[in-house]
Amino acid sequence: MPHTLTVNGKARSAEVDDDTPVLWVLRDVLGMTGTKFGCGLGLCGACTIHLDGKPVRSCITPVAAAAGKRVTTIEAVGATAAGKKIQQAWIELEVPQCGYCQSGQIMSATALLAANPKPTDGDIDAAMSGNICRCGTYVRIREGIKHAAKKGT
Amino acid sequence: MTMDLSRRQFLSASAALGGGLLIGFRTGPSIGAAAAAFTPNAFIRIGSDGQIVLTMPYVEMGQGTYTSIPMLIAEELEVDLKQVRLEHAPPDEKLYANPLLGVQATGNSNAIRGSWQSLRQAGATARTMLVSAAAKRWNVDPASCRAQRGEVRHAPTGRRLKYGALAADAARLPVPEKVVLKRPADFKLIGTPAKRLDTPSKVNGSAVYGIDVRPPGVKIATLAQSPVFGGRVKSVDDAKARAVKGVRQIVRLDDAVAVVADHMGAAKKGLAALVIATHFQVLP
Repeated sequence: MPHTLTVNGKARSAEVDDDTPVLWVLRDVLGMTGTKFGCGLGLCGACTIHLDGKPVRSCITPVAAAAGKRVTTIEAVGATAAGKKIQQAWIELEVPQCGYCQSGQIMSATALLAANPKPTDGDIDAAMSGNICRCGTYVRIREGIKHAAKKGT
Repeated sequence: MTMDLSRRQFLSASAALGGGLLIGFRTGPSIGAAAAAFTPNAFIRIGSDGQIVLTMPYVEMGQGTYTSIPMLIAEELEVDLKQVRLEHAPPDEKLYANPLLGVQATGNSNAIRGSWQSLRQAGATARTMLVSAAAKRWNVDPASCRAQRGEVRHAPTGRRLKYGALAADAARLPVPEKVVLKRPADFKLIGTPAKRLDTPSKVNGSAVYGIDVRPPGVKIATLAQSPVFGGRVKSVDDAKARAVKGVRQIVRLDDAVAVVADHMGAAKKGLAALVIATHFQVLP
């Protein structure tokens, strides 16, 4: 039986084993490559997506665990109020350098802002510490979140 | 250097379909869709619809080459950075080799140094031809016309034509052997701060990295290599790996075993099912 998922509001199906990580369903089965593979172990945050609005690491989330939940990816996060603000801030402040980790950064930052419209530095550190950036764009990421928060809800 | 010769080669004109002209080599798979395009060289394509596409010979990895290289071309082509769309170059060493390295590669911090002359020249060639096309249409001296922001203007009469409207005409003109490059004092883009052109694609997931390339029908493979130098595969029991949904093939090599699958999830699961490490032995 294929797995049926709701991805960015659309019903999609994938004929894969129950324990297949959502990451590979998105990237290799559905061809949505905006979500990135980083470590495959839930340690770097590059693969972050939302399940019912909550950030999860898609590389260690089995497809069976996403059944019946709303999957949101970087391709559609801009359709949410918080996601749009974060993406706009990322562009205005030119947050990305190489950009590879930024899909995950944006998904984590969006989840933070949606839950906490006025995050403190401590809130930002707590929410973002699981997203690693080898280029070291952390300072701009923090500024980007503050910039987006200033725009209000 | 040999660069001049190869440049002249790709600037030599050849007729194409659709009332347009392709000059020199084709620039990629999308060329068929732009038959009425003005393609004066391998780096510039201007469609009759007004689209200006620049082909990037270097890989963007955060160093900003998708902004600095377009600046070189746009400076001489006389277009705004906002007016261009970027495409990555297909593999083609003759067209896209780094002039300093001789291979199609990005590195050594030499993209700008290597392309400083040739890509400005590419832009100037296109601009010169577009100006000629406009002057011909208006029956005026090309020297009385000026290219600016993606159009050719004739100040004495106030006439102007967008590049897209001139593309088909420009495509029929001979490619000039020599073109005049702008004086640095006249630069409008080079030497100025610019917003990176690749940023929007990196905040919405549309940027294509190497790992994101999906040629038609491609499968995904992963492999286990000998953990020690000189190790060889002694035996492989792949029954469990083959049973994994999505696994297509197990490939045994001298010093590695690969699992080919429909997706990486299946490939990794198949690989884990091989328990490879116990099957390597070091031969004398």
